[in-house]
Amino acid sequence: MLLFILKRIGFMALTMLAVSVVLFALLEIDKEKVAVRVIGQYTTPEQRASWLERNGYNRPIVERYVSWLGHVAIGDFGRSVRYQGPVADVLWPRVWNTVILATYALAIIVPLSLVLGILAGMREGSKLDRAISVTCIGTTSVPEFASAVFIAALFVFVLGVLPGTSSMADGFNVLELVMPVMVLVLYDFGYVARMTRASMAEVMTTQYVRTAVLAGLPYARVIWKYALRNALIAPFTVIMLQVNWLLSGVIVVEVFFSYKGFGALLLDASLSQDVYLIEACTLVAVFVAVGTQTIADIAYTYLNPRIRFT
Amino acid sequence: MKDQKEHPYVPKLKQNFAERKIDRREFLRTSTLLGVSAVAAYEFAGRIEGRSLLPKAGAADLPKGGHLRLGWRVPELDSPHTFAWGGSEFTRSTCEHLTRTGPDNVTRPWLLDRWEASDDLKTWHLHLRKGVKWRSGRDFVADDAIWNLQHVLDPDTGSSVLGLMKGYMMNEEGTAVWDANAIEKVDDHTVRLNCRNPQLAVPEHLFHYPLHILDPEDGGVFGVGANGTGAFEVVEAAIGQKVVIKNTNPHYWGEPVHLDSMEFLDLGDDPNAELNALISKQVHGVSELNVEQLPLLANIPHVQVYDVATARTGVVRMRVTEEPFGDPRVRKAMRLATDCGKTLELAIQGLGVKAEHHHVCPIHPEYAELPEMTRDPAAARALLAEAGHPDGIEVTIDCKPDPTWEIAAVQAMVEQWKEAGINAKINSMPSASYWDIWDKTAFGFTGWTHRPLGVMVLALAYRSGVPWNETAYNNPEFDALLTKAEGILDVDARREVMAEIQKLMQEDGPIAQPLWRKSFTAMDKRVKNYSPHPTLYYFADLLAIEPA
Repeated sequence: MLLFILKRIGFMALTMLAVSVVLFALLEIDKEKVAVRVIGQYTTPEQRASWLERNGYNRPIVERYVSWLGHVAIGDFGRSVRYQGPVADVLWPRVWNTVILATYALAIIVPLSLVLGILAGMREGSKLDRAISVTCIGTTSVPEFASAVFIAALFVFVLGVLPGTSSMADGFNVLELVMPVMVLVLYDFGYVARMTRASMAEVMTTQYVRTAVLAGLPYARVIWKYALRNALIAPFTVIMLQVNWLLSGVIVVEVFFSYKGFGALLLDASLSQDVYLIEACTLVAVFVAVGTQTIADIAYTYLNPRIRFT
Repeated sequence: MKDQKEHPYVPKLKQNFAERKIDRREFLRTSTLLGVSAVAAYEFAGRIEGRSLLPKAGAADLPKGGHLRLGWRVPELDSPHTFAWGGSEFTRSTCEHLTRTGPDNVTRPWLLDRWEASDDLKTWHLHLRKGVKWRSGRDFVADDAIWNLQHVLDPDTGSSVLGLMKGYMMNEEGTAVWDANAIEKVDDHTVRLNCRNPQLAVPEHLFHYPLHILDPEDGGVFGVGANGTGAFEVVEAAIGQKVVIKNTNPHYWGEPVHLDSMEFLDLGDDPNAELNALISKQVHGVSELNVEQLPLLANIPHVQVYDVATARTGVVRMRVTEEPFGDPRVRKAMRLATDCGKTLELAIQGLGVKAEHHHVCPIHPEYAELPEMTRDPAAARALLAEAGHPDGIEVTIDCKPDPTWEIAAVQAMVEQWKEAGINAKINSMPSASYWDIWDKTAFGFTGWTHRPLGVMVLALAYRSGVPWNETAYNNPEFDALLTKAEGILDVDARREVMAEIQKLMQEDGPIAQPLWRKSFTAMDKRVKNYSPHPTLYYFADLLAIEPA
């Protein structure tokens, strides 16, 4: 198992390395573009040449890449043009904010969708199944920008019970997380529940479950002991993908509620063409993606002993 | 202002007002410019009109203490003399101005005690207020004011103040002040400006927002803890997040300040975020409202909406050094292809007035009424053909989504231009990115704030070679007419020159300008002593907040 884990971490490192090459090629090979993005598109050729020389851009490409990678490896991503300071000073607090938001969202999404998915999948075609399925499809089909407006209108304008933005201006306030979390849960729980339902329904039709039921085992024991573990393999993959989405894909929610998170930062970096900030955000997003995938791979082996990676 | 002689034009001004040849606002504005104190000017106007026009004091009744929080975008603050958008809101209460133009559009002495203009408007004595100290405890003296004036007039600084003052303080080329004694120290509390040309609006220029009076020891750099003469000190500043100012100056010279502290919270580019924050009482006010947000606030009991008529606008600006805009026929074609009335309706629901493509507003005292320049797409197409574009032109217009009326105006005009063969793509950029290229892009839509005089904005934006000349417009005839207008005190006489300038702008100018707009903002009713300023400035030393 240790060897397997080390291999997965090795693959993860290789993937990150490959991504870093692609990222560097896309954003830094054309050094003129870097100069334009950092010191402005209307600077003179002389100003750009001077900046490139001062910042070591006239070195061979491989040397530049190795130097860049070395700095990135120790967390030195360069200086943000937009925020006028080291990228790391902006990046890590934003990542942490998003981790907090994602944790709250996942803490509701996972149990809610698993329970609903299992309940629906246990008796496929029942009234309960139909009701849960319709609810899930309904909530998932409403995009975040629409549900955010609706929820803000209801809780801020009509009821006046929740703060309208999540800027955390007075320090951390869990009330300010309610609306963003609500939007994320509404958008996401249906999808995970539907996946769980499909997996559960499939397991419930397997012969070993049928045998257990026919053998007279209590229904609850059949579900709990024999069906559930197998039914959770597919949802687990889906949940790991949701972690990835929650950490780097919740741009709409963060911008709408003025939540100073990683998604809003990613958007800001892209719109401002803040090249070093884009690089840092991309690497973090890729790290989250491959990291969650690695965790999923490792966890598979616990959930299903038939799966072995050698 | 007892101890100096009255400017010779003041009696004529009083007579004109008494005979109703000029309105109250023009009387107050011009008389205070000529050194009459605001109190004396208000009293005279009150006597003529038979009512008291003096603003109510009432400061003693205002609540003391408290923390006021506004929703506001937070840009870089480090170089106040080169501010081109924002920033001044956070520095104004620390590094004050020599003068202050109030919500009534009347300019008063601030760090100055008074000023005197010579009969020919070429020599201005600026008398500094005595007893003013920097927060560090040092006296504020003439050398401090001189350093700041020299710094903004140094072309290497890149301040827009140079644009305002170029006509009377700089040499022809704009490379240096026109004379070694142009800014002269008379004594520790008196500075004399010796101007190359007559200038009527020196006090108003001294309130141009980048002209903060910085401590020379800071070398033009501003930041947390920067020294100033104002009551407040910046104690926290983070781009894109927030700025906090605190009332810490033990040497503050002015009236006692009501607030303990103020905070500006950056809630991002989405204007609905500020609105949501105001409604849920997370902030006490917002920087500005969009017209489509007004109905949403109609039934919110704790919010007061303010509106103010302004000379705020947005211009389709064509950089004359870039093709196809080097040809004046192309520029005129853009104007002829624009329907100002429809753009006004579509962009701001008619809450403003139509503009006439010359950037002089009907509320400016020297505005000259010209025959309307109506939309004529056929004439526009013919002009394009004459300029070598028989099949029309393809262009890309840069603009920004915030405030929302700007992109709405651009979308409306882009549709109108098609009929004249002008096919424009819209490149909507984040606000911060647009302000990086606003004075460089070939074709864009730029918002311009209110200025009390028409000559001020023309000097800032269209005089040859000045920092904010975003279109690189360079027309000696325009420059000469503008300099002439700036030296004429009599509004009727100035208006005659303005008519020539306005016609020139319509025929040759670098802009198409669809509308003038009203401005709207909103504050929690707990916020006291707020008056909407035409530029939506606020003054932290005046504001107060009731306890919750």
